[in-house]
Amino acid sequence: MKKVLISKVGCETALGSGPEKLWLELLAGRSGIKPLTRFSCENYVSNLAAGIDDLAIPAGSSRHDDLLDRVADQVGPIPADSRLLVASTKGEIDRLQTACRHDEPVPASALFEPLLAKISRRFDLIDHGTNINAACASSTIAIARGAAMIAHGQAESVLVYAADLLSEFVFSGFSALQALSPTPARPFDAQRQGLNLGEAGAALLLTNEKRAGDSPLAQVAGWGAANDAHHVTAPARDGSGLILACREAMQRAGIDPDQVAAINAHGTGTPYNDAMELTAFDSLFGKKMPPLHGVKGSLGHTLGAAAALETIVGGFALTAKKIPGTVGCTDPEEVGMGRIGTATQSIDGDYLLTTNSGFGGINGALVLQGAAS
Amino acid sequence: MKALINGIGWITPAGFGQGHAANGQPLLAGELEIPTRKQIFAGIDRRFGRLDDFSRIGLGAATFCLRDAGAEEWSEKRRVGIVAASRYGCLRTDLDYLETMLSEQGKLASPNIFAYTLPNCFLGEAALRFGLTGNSMIINRHDPDRVTAIRIALEELSWTDQAGILAGIVDLTPPPELAADDDLPGSLFLLLERGPRPRIEPYGELVLQGDQLIFNGKEMSDLKELVASCLRIES
Repeated sequence: MKKVLISKVGCETALGSGPEKLWLELLAGRSGIKPLTRFSCENYVSNLAAGIDDLAIPAGSSRHDDLLDRVADQVGPIPADSRLLVASTKGEIDRLQTACRHDEPVPASALFEPLLAKISRRFDLIDHGTNINAACASSTIAIARGAAMIAHGQAESVLVYAADLLSEFVFSGFSALQALSPTPARPFDAQRQGLNLGEAGAALLLTNEKRAGDSPLAQVAGWGAANDAHHVTAPARDGSGLILACREAMQRAGIDPDQVAAINAHGTGTPYNDAMELTAFDSLFGKKMPPLHGVKGSLGHTLGAAAALETIVGGFALTAKKIPGTVGCTDPEEVGMGRIGTATQSIDGDYLLTTNSGFGGINGALVLQGAAS
Repeated sequence: MKALINGIGWITPAGFGQGHAANGQPLLAGELEIPTRKQIFAGIDRRFGRLDDFSRIGLGAATFCLRDAGAEEWSEKRRVGIVAASRYGCLRTDLDYLETMLSEQGKLASPNIFAYTLPNCFLGEAALRFGLTGNSMIINRHDPDRVTAIRIALEELSWTDQAGILAGIVDLTPPPELAADDDLPGSLFLLLERGPRPRIEPYGELVLQGDQLIFNGKEMSDLKELVASCLRIES
């Protein structure tokens, strides 16, 4: 198995442009969640989200274009023979919504093929790309697959591009499901009421050692995925799918649970998700549960982009030997007591576990290793 | 990278069926009938009535595939994954949801329809009915040969400890303005496993060599040819 390194990254979130900015804002405990002005929220259970305010919409196009440009500019040139894996749950949903609102024909951009072609062109890649749709674990599964392709010698580099827009389509749906919090989300807090949606684009260039350059962010040392086989929209309360995914990821990385220095959890802020995760981590780590945190109190839930962002944050955390606080978690659930809170925590060790779970019962886990180690 | 093909099931314009009882090529263009619960499950299935059409055909084809392989019944969850390729995904469901969302400025947005606007949700429906705890994903890409999901499944089997993968295609008839000449509406799954099943004759061995799919020693150009070879019919 070849080593898999994260060689280049770029991201755009409600907290600004670029990975360094994201890291510093998270360390400062800032949140991009605020009242929405993009569409009326009068009939929804919340008006809060973490959108990117100044995303341009070219005439007849999608906010995706601007998001892609910004992320691609940060990443810069990459090898043209890199394979392309995209992780987006709803692609250019804003264009479909606009067409339907105006009784226009369904645009071709309702499919993923034009979006894949656009991303491939923007990064000057030969590969036309594949979109992976695994709900909120889409980019976990994409990174896992990209890592596997490199580890098994099928590719020298893989670009994972992950993005989802803040759209009324998705916002109204989560509102109808009563999953949105009317107040800023409080992941892992005993008083949490639900999630806030976010918007983001992120790219990670995964490479083998030969193509890694001088300063890779981190190594993707392990990955795992499992379905709960329990329910389509609710997590298995015993965390069985997440436990399987984490065990697979740790086994692939060749580590024991006590070597995990920190966890970047999915932490949506919904009562069931966060309880399930804590149950799973309790089962995996028991009294040796490492420090954990989540970023969705700052960035909102960015759906297909979530794991890509969290992997970038995980890389920075391993380098800095600390994890940012979890915005909103002022009164942690008992299981997480002493392990999660609003303050930055120091970490000691080389491995960080990052996890995501989504509709359709999917769970994904990645083990990151500090590049220096 | 290799696996045995132990089951085939489909819901296509050719009808509803499974490999060991097949008498013709299931991958045909034409009108697609959406199955009712009784056409798939003999017993009560309280969730089926809520499913969107995309999920119905995907779940139906996966069910027939497992039935064909003698793998429908289970007592303990199994490390079996599902990989499905789709060009149009759940676009029809998106349009249905938008109707509910746009009519009264969001007041009537349907939570039940929204839940199926993620195309991987039907994978969860299959997983929970049949106890499948492997990886599960929908893939979208230009896939004229319709074998991308099968290639990914063979790689997953080679690179992980999963015992099997249901791999296939799922697409409803698209809106006319997006229709393409080579559309094949419907769903078809193959069950790829590491070894044979008791009392069921495998269709044969599938090998991935580089980009080439080789079935029983012969290179396959597309899914139609692979299915025809499995069923020993004209492609």
